[in-house]
Amino acid sequence: MKKYLAVFKINLLNSLAYPAEMVTRSAMILLFMWIFFQLWRITFAAAGSDSINGLSLHDTMWYLLLAETLELGRPRLARVISEQVKDGSIAYLLNKPYNFLVYQLSSGLGESLPRMGMLFVLGGALVWAMAGPPPDLVNWPLALVALAGAWLLHFCVNALIGLAAFVAEEVAPFEWIYQKFTFVLGGMLIPLDFYPAWLQTIAKSLPFAYMMYGPARLFVLPDMQLFAQIIIGQLLWLAIFGGLLVLVFSRGMRRLAINGG
Amino acid sequence: MRELKFLLSLWKTNLAAAMEYRAAFISQSIGMILNDAVYFVVWIIFFDRFPSISGWQLTDMFIVFGISASAFGLAGLLFGNAFNLGDIIVKGRLDYYLSLPRPTLLHVLASRVVPSSFGDFLYGFISYCVSGQFSLDGLGRFIVGVILATTVFVAFLVLVQSLAFWLGTGGVFTGMAINAIVTFAIYPITLFNQTAKVILFLVVPAAFMGAVPAGFVKGFSWSTLGLMLLGGAGFLALAILVFHAGLRRYESGSAIQTEV
Repeated sequence: MKKYLAVFKINLLNSLAYPAEMVTRSAMILLFMWIFFQLWRITFAAAGSDSINGLSLHDTMWYLLLAETLELGRPRLARVISEQVKDGSIAYLLNKPYNFLVYQLSSGLGESLPRMGMLFVLGGALVWAMAGPPPDLVNWPLALVALAGAWLLHFCVNALIGLAAFVAEEVAPFEWIYQKFTFVLGGMLIPLDFYPAWLQTIAKSLPFAYMMYGPARLFVLPDMQLFAQIIIGQLLWLAIFGGLLVLVFSRGMRRLAINGG
Repeated sequence: MRELKFLLSLWKTNLAAAMEYRAAFISQSIGMILNDAVYFVVWIIFFDRFPSISGWQLTDMFIVFGISASAFGLAGLLFGNAFNLGDIIVKGRLDYYLSLPRPTLLHVLASRVVPSSFGDFLYGFISYCVSGQFSLDGLGRFIVGVILATTVFVAFLVLVQSLAFWLGTGGVFTGMAINAIVTFAIYPITLFNQTAKVILFLVVPAAFMGAVPAGFVKGFSWSTLGLMLLGGAGFLALAILVFHAGLRRYESGSAIQTEV
């Protein structure tokens, strides 16, 4: 466990080593949140109501902030792993005394945490100025637990996409399409509550809702029943994707051919 | 004429090089079409719930998204290095182009093709065809709109990345610039107030990549055509000027490079 903690720490310190660059990169969230505010301000005005399907403009903006923080802050592991598989540098990680997947998890977490923090602070400041103060602090713990589950789910799917490089020449299209499914069926750009009922049912039965909608919705409108539903869903999908990941990794190792050094 | 022949030869070579990895080219193109299509579903859901936002409807989104996607794709197909010019400058990779008797900027920009761009380019046309406003003369205007939008987009990328001559770094700004222009281009322009619109015409010229050409596709107007030509010519001239001003500051690292 100590070695993974060390990997986490190294990546954390690495991310914090260039604060100016991190702030500049994270500033992108300001643009997105500003555009979202223009869109939803006009949409709520056109609807002529303070609330749409139980969400106010304030709720919608803080929902979108959490969703954007997760999307922009999660590590792009699929690209990293697929490059390691394609250029053979995976060989240098496999002969070290650690588990490759746990190593990627610790390194990704170390890289992701400060970035997510910065995105949330910058974006949050703007959303606060435009739409009002953040949700009550008592809402935060439930959302944070669901956020951790969502991050792990993203990790599993991203690692699976990266490992697809064992069999596919190019994995980028898988990554794009996965990201867009998260946008649409995860409710990243529009809260799932605004979808037609039949589409909500479909979206909530797929993993994407547990990767995005769950934590974002709990952040603005916490509810113990919804929390239990989301955590059970996340555990279920984690068991499926986690199992698949271990299986794909062990089969990939059997296909791996390393020539020279 | 000589430069046009040179460009055509470069594009032909690029295409042949991309086709060497046929499976990757095809899978990335199909992947990008699917990627764009799935992304657009968000707008279908949005306009199904809220049919009109400040006079903007789903059919407008099909056209604006189509123009932006095709312009983005055409830029990647014909001038693929527009996306990593900053990196080329910082790493001293301009040496190769400077040593050859051809216009440096044109040569460097057209020396790469981004395979997935073909998917974007094609998707734009699909989007226009299913917009419910398809007509043959509209298609002609769509093509003109895409060409002029591409001109502004490539010029904007050159402008932003030429900053690398002065700053010594380009990666962060390039990502931000691409995100900014594409994001603004695919949102209804009616969302923004007058100040924001001035920015969208003069600073981050997303209006020339989305709303203005989309308006031209919907109905011919000399003033819109004039505006697009002015925008294209203005940004292109500025980009060439700034690039060459930066080039005077360029210092080679004398590194050994291989250009393939």
